[in-house]
Amino acid sequence: MSQSEEEDDYMSMVFDDAPKAGKETSLQRRARMQKEGEAKARAKTRAEKEAETEAAREAGLATALDSSSKGFKMMAKFGFRQGDTLGKAEDARKEPIHLSMKDDRSGLGLESERKRKLRELVEEAEKEVKRSKIEQVDYRERVRQENEEKRLGVELYNAQKTAERLVEEDDQSAREGQEWTPTSEYKSRQTISGKRSLQSINILWRRLVRNRLEKERDRKRRQHFNDSLSSTLPTYISADEDEDADDKLALGHDVTAIEDDLEDLSDEDLELEEFEAQPLAERLQKVVVYLREAHHYCFWCKYRYSSATLDGCPGITEKDHD
Amino acid sequence: MTVERQADFEEDISRVKRVKVEQNGYSKTDPANNPYLAHWADDPHTPESQAHRLYSFQRHATTAKAARAAEDGPINPFTGRTLTGKYMSILHKRRDLPVHAQRDEFLKLYQESQILVFVGETGSGKTTQIPQFVLYDDLPHLNKKLVACTQPRRVAAMSVAQRVAEEMDVQLGEEVGYSIRFEDKTGPKTMLKYMTDGMLLREAMHDNNLTRYSTIILDEAHERTLATDILMGLLKEVVLRRKDLKLIIMSATLDATKFQKYFHDAPLLAVPGRTHPVEIFYTPEPERDYLEAAIRTVLQIHTSEPEGDILLFLTGEEEIEDACRKIRMETEEAISDGIAGPIMVYPLYGTLPPQQQQRIFQPAPPAAKPGGRPGRKCIVSTNIAETSLTIDGIVYVVDPGFSKQKVYNPRIRVESLLVSPISKASAQQRAGRAGRTRPGKCFRLYTEETFKTQLIAQTYPEVLRSNLANTVLELKKLGIDDLVHFDLMDPPAPETLMRALEELNYLACLDDEGELTQLGQLASEFPLDPALAVMLISSPEFYCSNEILSLTALLSVPQIFVSPTNKRKQANEMKDLFAHPDGDHLTMLNVYHAFKNQPAGDQKQWCHDHFLSYRALTHADDVRLQLRRIMEAREIEFVSTKHGDKNYYENIQRALVAGFFMQVAKKDGSGKNYVTVKDDQTVILHPSTVLAVDAEWVVYNEFVLTSKNFIRTVTVVKPEWLLDIAPMYYDLDTFKKGEVKAALQRCQNKINRNMAGKKAATRY
Repeated sequence: MSQSEEEDDYMSMVFDDAPKAGKETSLQRRARMQKEGEAKARAKTRAEKEAETEAAREAGLATALDSSSKGFKMMAKFGFRQGDTLGKAEDARKEPIHLSMKDDRSGLGLESERKRKLRELVEEAEKEVKRSKIEQVDYRERVRQENEEKRLGVELYNAQKTAERLVEEDDQSAREGQEWTPTSEYKSRQTISGKRSLQSINILWRRLVRNRLEKERDRKRRQHFNDSLSSTLPTYISADEDEDADDKLALGHDVTAIEDDLEDLSDEDLELEEFEAQPLAERLQKVVVYLREAHHYCFWCKYRYSSATLDGCPGITEKDHD
Repeated sequence: MTVERQADFEEDISRVKRVKVEQNGYSKTDPANNPYLAHWADDPHTPESQAHRLYSFQRHATTAKAARAAEDGPINPFTGRTLTGKYMSILHKRRDLPVHAQRDEFLKLYQESQILVFVGETGSGKTTQIPQFVLYDDLPHLNKKLVACTQPRRVAAMSVAQRVAEEMDVQLGEEVGYSIRFEDKTGPKTMLKYMTDGMLLREAMHDNNLTRYSTIILDEAHERTLATDILMGLLKEVVLRRKDLKLIIMSATLDATKFQKYFHDAPLLAVPGRTHPVEIFYTPEPERDYLEAAIRTVLQIHTSEPEGDILLFLTGEEEIEDACRKIRMETEEAISDGIAGPIMVYPLYGTLPPQQQQRIFQPAPPAAKPGGRPGRKCIVSTNIAETSLTIDGIVYVVDPGFSKQKVYNPRIRVESLLVSPISKASAQQRAGRAGRTRPGKCFRLYTEETFKTQLIAQTYPEVLRSNLANTVLELKKLGIDDLVHFDLMDPPAPETLMRALEELNYLACLDDEGELTQLGQLASEFPLDPALAVMLISSPEFYCSNEILSLTALLSVPQIFVSPTNKRKQANEMKDLFAHPDGDHLTMLNVYHAFKNQPAGDQKQWCHDHFLSYRALTHADDVRLQLRRIMEAREIEFVSTKHGDKNYYENIQRALVAGFFMQVAKKDGSGKNYVTVKDDQTVILHPSTVLAVDAEWVVYNEFVLTSKNFIRTVTVVKPEWLLDIAPMYYDLDTFKKGEVKAALQRCQNKINRNMAGKKAATRY
């Protein structure tokens, strides 16, 4: 063990490492030995044994004889090469017939039916794993993107709210000269959020209105459900002819009453879908530009300029405001 | 019962009958009929007899008309004797067989072509009639040649020969004979020889061009047995060398184009069988338990379908007996309630004693009272009933879609019977069994979708499912050097050949160049697996060739121990009487010796009392005699160690190692399981073993795959024997690192130390 300094460095390196591994104390060693012994001595369960047997069998079945076999050398004498088949038939076998064990009485086709189902599940799971693997690679990037999306979402919502607010403010100031009545206020609210068709609302913040309406509808429905006298179970008895409108409403037979003023909601809004198919950043950009142009408002400065040129605003993008 | 099979199963009876006819029909004083004076009448070459003996026929120019005239008698054209009344009545029936309608067509094609593919469905009469058609045209006796007709099964070869001998009004073993492994019933007059395909192959080993034969008929070629496949490959070459040899390939399945294509587009003749339409029913969903479904279906047929017998296909003895019991039990109630007629349930499988097999031909029971519900019989069978035997009266077939099939895998070297899905062809064959007597029904216990998408078209031929070590030895002996390019119809995976060559090399039957060694030459003389042959040949070196001869015979026959399900305990107790603690091989030997010590008259009863198979033991006795003859011819010594000698058993164990050193397993770390040497497969001892010692190393006869990996018929051995007797195989450098190698290394070290010690001792 006595290595002099003059001798090869790599030798000393090897010996440097060795004692480290042997640093285990006698107690630790005994504990480890005991643990290992226990693991070895523990009788394996039947299932474990069977699984091992099967694994060994599958491993054996999966291992092809290769050119190291003595038989291969004898065959090579007659021009046999790895990958060749025997005989002269064109469709000769390359692999031995697969062994399949059957140890129960399941009917023909049942196993494959099960396997097919299992395979589908496995495939699904594999796909999942694959996807998550790809994603894992740029996990950080993804997290960053997610946060950015979230942030943009919030900003868009704010921008949309601002736009809606500004439009309303402008409408109000335009009516300022007229007589103010609560009804008109009520009505104007109605026109924006209610009866007036959703389609007429600017696409830039239509989503905002739509969401609000949907929420409202759900609330109404719930309330209606709670108020209604009848159970919600469908009945096969035709509705009573004598029911008047109130009865109907009370019994929950007249749902149209609620749906009526919200008919737009059930319609598909292709325009909105198209708009929302655009990336968040782009949508936000559009709202921001709208605010600037229609209301001289810079979303980033949070300030409404008096001039159309927005004097004093550093620029159109968020970056310009950093 | 069909004509064909009647012969098969009533062989003994008909033999008795024939003797009676002879005794009554001939005058005992006529020397021409006295078999002991046969030589008096042995020169029949007078002009008159020549006329009767087809001398006027021109070879390969016979017409159906002329042949029929010759058949009509009154003189037997082959023997010159007057034809009997029995012959005439059989002839009448024969003429009704479908093949007779196309006799002219057959003769024309046979005469025109060297190779002919003949397709005749079951019941067409091809096996019994075609060879006779050939006799009338090929006239082999005039050229001192023979016509051979091969059969995949021994029983078929025997029974068909018997039947044809009757049809031709000749004595079996004279003009018509048979030859099967360990039994040759032919004589100098034989012109038509039924034989197993394996026997023809063995003959080819000594006569590579099969010069004795003028026509060779390979029957039941659709079964694609190993020997038939090898013969086809061989004959494909022989017909090129021997233009005078004619070859007929007979198949029962319509898909014979494969044979045609293989034999250079040989002409094909198809004769329809007599079949009725069979309606096929599928289940809408796969079955959870096919046995239960099968029994349910049988009950349903019995209670709701009109008259007609039922054939249910299952996979093995135990399952079949189980099903029979359940069907009997379940029907009892229905019968006593009067909603079903009486039913007789019969099992049918290969290992069933012949007299029990015969019971399936008993007619169905009659209705309980006149005008009552019809009685029927139900046969629960393995796939024996699929092709090899025909039971008339079957109208309903229940097919769960499984059969037990031999499989071999060269990678882990396991050859075993496994329950596997059948092929489409097999399913069709099974269904066809329902339409033999009248239109029938087949109930398939699987979906149509499963049938279409999951069943393979044809059952894999045996050559793809077998260990080819024996075949390789045979092919070498047949003079085929280039095994790689030997033109088999379905060549197996290259690994199968690789493994076979390797095994033969370790057994020293082939040298490193793949050439047959002297030991290999000798081993190929024995109709045995190479391991058994090598063990037998090398046994004199271990002073126990008598014992190994007995053991080899015992290992070549079916199980000698009988273990009925209901008397298993008694059977085991009896077995223990013979048990040798060192293992099963030695126990079998003890049984054989005890058997031989019984007076001949008592043997049968003795076997019965001791739960031993008398059939198997007497068969083993026959086999022993045949092997003994070969040994004598090859001058292999017969030696024994004295029974009292302490090495008596050890010598036998060592001789076992000489043949079976590749079938050795070592106990693994857990102390319960074993691991096969080199292939590293976890195995357990088969519960039937009598091995009573704590055996670290065992040699085994069989690696059986079921739900578990079993090794069956095991005997303890010592590792030093392995290293000593099979040093090539036990070359430690060829072992993977592991328990086995380590143990062998320890043993080797011990031997080395002892040797060194001995050397040191001698030096001083």
